[in-house]
Amino acid sequence: MNETLDKSNLNFRERVSEFVAGFGLPRLIIAAFLLLLFIAAPFVGADFWTQISNTINRFSWNAVMVLAMVPMIHSGCGLNFGLPLGIISGLLGATLSIELGFTGPMSFVMAIVIATPFAVILGAGYGWLLNKIKGGEMMIATYVGFSSVSFMCMMWLLLPYKSPTMVWGLAGKGLRTTISLEGFYDKVLAKILQIHIGNLSIPTGTLLFFALLAFGMWAFLHSKTGTAMTAVGSNPTFARAAGVNVDKMRLLSVILSTWLAAIGILVYEQGFGFVQLYMAPFYMALPAVSAILIGGATVNKATIPNVIIGTFLFQGIVTMTPTVMNSMIHMDMSEVIRVVVSQGMILYALTRKTEATK
Amino acid sequence: MKNNGNGKKVLNFLGNNSVPILFILICIVCIPVSGFSPSYLINEIVTRMGRNIFLILCLLIPIMAGMGLNFGMTLGAMAAELALILVSDWQIWGIPGVVLAMILSIPFSILLGALCGKILNMAKGREMITSYIISFFMNGVYQLIVLYMMGPIIPIKHTTVKLPRGYGIRNSVDLFHMRQCLDNLMAVRIGGVKVPVLTFLLIGLLCLFIIWFRKTKLGQDMRAVGQDMDVARDAGINVERTRIISIVMSTVLAGFGMVIYLQNMGNIATYSSHSQIGMFCIAALLVGGASVDKASIGNVFLGVILFHTMFIVAPKAGAIITGDSMIGEYFRVFVSYAVITIALIMYETKKRKARSRAGQQLQLAQQEEEAAANE
Amino acid sequence: MSKSRRLVIRICAVLVLVLIAACMMVIGRGHTVYFDNKTLEYDGNTYEAPYKITVIVKDENVAKLYVKERGQATNIGQNFTVSLRVMEEKNGDETTETYSFKLPYSMDGVVVNLPGLMAGLPEEAWISEFVSMIPEPATAEDEEVPSADEFEMDMGDEF
Repeated sequence: MNETLDKSNLNFRERVSEFVAGFGLPRLIIAAFLLLLFIAAPFVGADFWTQISNTINRFSWNAVMVLAMVPMIHSGCGLNFGLPLGIISGLLGATLSIELGFTGPMSFVMAIVIATPFAVILGAGYGWLLNKIKGGEMMIATYVGFSSVSFMCMMWLLLPYKSPTMVWGLAGKGLRTTISLEGFYDKVLAKILQIHIGNLSIPTGTLLFFALLAFGMWAFLHSKTGTAMTAVGSNPTFARAAGVNVDKMRLLSVILSTWLAAIGILVYEQGFGFVQLYMAPFYMALPAVSAILIGGATVNKATIPNVIIGTFLFQGIVTMTPTVMNSMIHMDMSEVIRVVVSQGMILYALTRKTEATK
Repeated sequence: MKNNGNGKKVLNFLGNNSVPILFILICIVCIPVSGFSPSYLINEIVTRMGRNIFLILCLLIPIMAGMGLNFGMTLGAMAAELALILVSDWQIWGIPGVVLAMILSIPFSILLGALCGKILNMAKGREMITSYIISFFMNGVYQLIVLYMMGPIIPIKHTTVKLPRGYGIRNSVDLFHMRQCLDNLMAVRIGGVKVPVLTFLLIGLLCLFIIWFRKTKLGQDMRAVGQDMDVARDAGINVERTRIISIVMSTVLAGFGMVIYLQNMGNIATYSSHSQIGMFCIAALLVGGASVDKASIGNVFLGVILFHTMFIVAPKAGAIITGDSMIGEYFRVFVSYAVITIALIMYETKKRKARSRAGQQLQLAQQEEEAAANE
Repeated sequence: MSKSRRLVIRICAVLVLVLIAACMMVIGRGHTVYFDNKTLEYDGNTYEAPYKITVIVKDENVAKLYVKERGQATNIGQNFTVSLRVMEEKNGDETTETYSFKLPYSMDGVVVNLPGLMAGLPEEAWISEFVSMIPEPATAEDEEVPSADEFEMDMGDEF
């Protein structure tokens, strides 16, 4: 009995040191920084539980979009800088669902339903393209995202939307830049089983929804197709020799990633309360990319815990720095810190020698 | 038979120059629709040529060294802005101000460029995405300096430059006393079109420099590195150093270019002037028919003319065709991004084809060798 | 090329650049010069302002100053030459005189009292620093600090 305990203890210690080694220095620094912020928060007059709630809230908004990174990293397509493409599908789903007259929770379900075919079609095209240009995925993904966003800018103006809640009041055509979701799916997930204790509020529904998707992703990665996908990412030559259709696996991963991005933006919108169109999706890929990297993922390896840790750390810093820094030194340096931390993290990941050889 | 060969030639020509041809078509359609007078158009294009060509030329050097499109040219733009902010706070006016800003931007550019080159050396094979992220990262650092350090640490005296809160730089810094001083000196009017001769002289000098530089030892080294890094290394070229030098040169030139650009604009948008400049310059270069691994001075000139003609006429033409002025605005943004996307895709597919061809050749050679050995 | 020679060339290049920069800082310093046609009291003496002074800088009439009026001109560098066409009485004769003097490097705005200048007094009598009377309006718009992540996509005619 004692022996087994010892053994498990040893195992635990080993696992801790392994964890630290795998965690990496930049992550450790960021985690320590966040911890410091949490400790400092009460001293500078910020309410601890409000801060925690804010962090958890923002976590729940963004986690799905970060999860969207996982499939493409697994199949060796690199970081999905083309996330805006999926976001566009989500936006199409959201606007069409409202246009077709759905309200309340139903509009959210319908938004997902409508977004899905768009995500599959766009994702398939995108995946096909990425298969043509293996090795240069990330740069092209970035610009595919940009092109699609700027293309949709024209479309939002030209498409014949009619719903008065969405179009410009005066012209009667062309979608507004922000559309309020009140009466549609504003906080529709967050309200499910929401917990309020004092200043602490937890959007249980959104978290559960994320947990469901994350579990689905986990299960998928452990299925036969999922392992084949991982094999494609870690060693394409070996995978091909084992009879796996590399291009098909990559295509599947891109579609999956695009679809998750579409769901991700819908979840984000229900938390945020607004649909943001036009240039808004432009730089949405970068926070998601840096979040998963902060969580311990690399350019070709990512797990579900990476997603959870990364989103929590990133969103924690994003929510905490403005309040804490502001009251500490009376300078709002949060923007600068956010940019330096997130972009620095991406740079770090891109320049790691081990990943540079594919 | 001969006809067929000619047809193929034409097809090849069209294929190789598809982007410029497409742009010529867009311009041909949009110019009459927009209804701008030719003299207005020519005036605008000449102004924009003077403003932008220098900046775009700086992209040629990293392409020579095989490092792709230097999205990190933004760093040079930041260096120039830092220099200009200081110069306008010191109240140095006119041409001396421009010269001083250029000189002052050199140390900043060298520092940033060397850093960028070092990082890019760690990320070989993915230079473009890395340089792109570097520009974002450095934008954060730039904000840290401009928004928080200018004032308390770097002395800034004038309230026309400084934010009223006592530190940080205003959203827009007026360069009134430097405005177009370079363009106006020696400016010549030809039939109502103002030609900034001095600016064009500077551009001409840079062109000559680039032509000369290609022939120097360092230029040859760079091309060798661009062709094949391993071969270059075997030939005794210090690959890492050559790559860093190419990025530093590009950054320094971008700094000069940005000074020229901003003296023409007449004010600095402190937090946004640099953010888009890289994208537009790269788009213009690609419109001129350049690719990721090959670009000439001719591409730069053609690109600027075509891209900016599109840029000027698109909003008006869009407004007339669709009845909404924003459509044209979005259209030209979309076109800029689409051009870059297409160029990147063409480059990667070409690279992949070349790689598989090389692989096949290697296989063939091996088979032959084996056959020879068997005999 | 030997290493030491290369080093020497490099140092020389840097020195030349620094020298040019220093020159530029001296010759490029911009000043705004304000001219006051105002009676000056100095050392117990009173120097009356004439009826009208026309200020000419670089062959250009920059101002016509009656009593108690102020005009301005800009100048790059410290050497400043100004021609004054003075009319002592209304409809009287005009006399033109040219004055050259040095502007102090540290002053952005230099106020020159013309009667003092014309009387040939020492410089500190008629040169003073211009201090803006209008306080900078601290508008909310100026305080607005741009965000970093959401770049503004103002690509209109800016480019």
